[in-house]
Amino acid sequence: MAIKSVKDVKRKEYYLFSPFLRIFHWLMVVMILVLFGTGLLITKPMNVAATEPVFTSLSMDLVRDIHFLAAFILCAGLIMRVYGFIINKGDRLFPRFWEGHFYSETVEVALHYMLLKSHHAPFLRNPLARGSYAMLYVLLAIEILTGFAMYLAANPASTFGTLFGWVNVLVGSEMMSHYIHHYVAWFIILFAIGHFYMVVRAEFMEGESEVSSMFSGKKVLAHTPKDANELD
Amino acid sequence: MEKRESLWEAYLRRGFSRRSFLKGCVALTSLMGFSTDMFSKVVEAAETKPLPVVIWIHGHECTGCDESFIRSGAPLASDVVLSSIALEYDHLLSAACGAPFEAHLDETIAKYNGQYILCVEGAVATKDSGVYCMSGGHTFTHLLEKAAKGAAAIIAYGSCAAYGGIQAAKPNPTGSAGIERFVGGKPVVKVPGCPPIPEVMTGVVMHVALFGTLPPLDGDGRPKQFYGNRIHDTCYRRPFFDAGMFAEQFDDAGAKAGWCLYKLGCRGPETYNSCGNLRWWQGMSYPIQSGAPCIGCSNSNFWDEDPFTDRLPKYGKLGDVDKIGAALGVLTAAGVAGHGIASIIQRNSRENLIDEEHHE
Repeated sequence: MAIKSVKDVKRKEYYLFSPFLRIFHWLMVVMILVLFGTGLLITKPMNVAATEPVFTSLSMDLVRDIHFLAAFILCAGLIMRVYGFIINKGDRLFPRFWEGHFYSETVEVALHYMLLKSHHAPFLRNPLARGSYAMLYVLLAIEILTGFAMYLAANPASTFGTLFGWVNVLVGSEMMSHYIHHYVAWFIILFAIGHFYMVVRAEFMEGESEVSSMFSGKKVLAHTPKDANELD
Repeated sequence: MEKRESLWEAYLRRGFSRRSFLKGCVALTSLMGFSTDMFSKVVEAAETKPLPVVIWIHGHECTGCDESFIRSGAPLASDVVLSSIALEYDHLLSAACGAPFEAHLDETIAKYNGQYILCVEGAVATKDSGVYCMSGGHTFTHLLEKAAKGAAAIIAYGSCAAYGGIQAAKPNPTGSAGIERFVGGKPVVKVPGCPPIPEVMTGVVMHVALFGTLPPLDGDGRPKQFYGNRIHDTCYRRPFFDAGMFAEQFDDAGAKAGWCLYKLGCRGPETYNSCGNLRWWQGMSYPIQSGAPCIGCSNSNFWDEDPFTDRLPKYGKLGDVDKIGAALGVLTAAGVAGHGIASIIQRNSRENLIDEEHHE
């Protein structure tokens, strides 16, 4: 297979992601990393016994404040995401499980990923990826609910405290909220590793402009994706 | 006890001065968590309200709550039992026993129907029709349902009555549960703790006794004035937490210096109680002050959240979730790398196949 420097291929441009989704995506990347790092530090604070603790810059107070700030920024970003969802069809990535072909397509993509099938039909957004994003949002929702339930528990009688206090009751106890918050954080990191790989793989193996689309919002494709009509 | 006297009348009968009565009312006001402008209302209630009839029943428990209760210093438990309430029936504190005692309970329930305060200690054993907890030939479930029917107010003392307690720990062989499901939908004031702070126990029953209303409750049914704050937020060691100064071991310099016990599993950040401000035994101390991390004994489900000396549960040799998560992360990374290599091999063999077809 010879490498050609210039290819004369006809490509079509599909505008998918609004700036709101893209900004939210990169905001989420940074915030999840910050939240995960500070979260681990909150559960197991650094051992400062060797130094004079008063002079360390990593005080629990500061680490917690960074964690809370990042959480609020992420939640504010979610509002942008919702706005993008409303105004732009390309932002609507919820798996279309109410349509019959969703299931056969998901199975086809899964078989390809299991290396049992040499290729799968091209999609702007393949159904398996969409499913994984739905899962991510579920994980995020759990983090937000348990997070605010714990954060606002400093004053459970306040308006916001009562807004989220039921979470602690639902899961059994506030300590359980801590556990769930911590465990789900690890699942989000596992998702991130898988997501990163799948996106790079789609870019290089399947000829999808998967990586660049999260910067430009566009996919420039030589093939015609099966779900192109969803943008109309 | 036909004519029920008020607190003021009880004081008069005993020959106490008006001054000591007012002093008692001041103590009561602060005990119930009120500001001093409620003082006149407390005096008014103490003068006019007849002493409330209290039925105190015990279920599936260790009676440790009573051990706590009898150590109440302000007011003295003996003052509460003998002159502030009319305690008609109590499994533990009663000298009487047998059939006459049980008959007295039925009489009391009938006579003061809709007026008495029902205090419940201990969980309800629900499994096998409740046979694991019986008194007077009946299950505790039966007694609770009978007594709750005519109660003006129900107070659940201790984590057992509130949430099920130690005997509800996995695998919970007796099916122990809190009393809430067995009181016919009546509101329950939960006073959790294992045991609750003595002054909190007396404070809650005095509130109901004097005002005839339930104290302001939070969403979980706990009195806000005693359970409105986390121990963490009232703890005198909180500054050490904020500064990141933690005891790492029970015998290290940090523990000796009285630093925060968070890394030793302290449940203060999740626990609602008055240990931080009221403390125990007339303000003498509380667990954290004595160097032991809080185990969150006033929380629902605290008994299953072991180990108490760690922030995260451990899974044998696998370690805690941070260890497992890091291992899974490495495994996932290795997995996707392997998958990537396999994908390239698959594509190459496919393209070779296509190339060969073209050549033919």
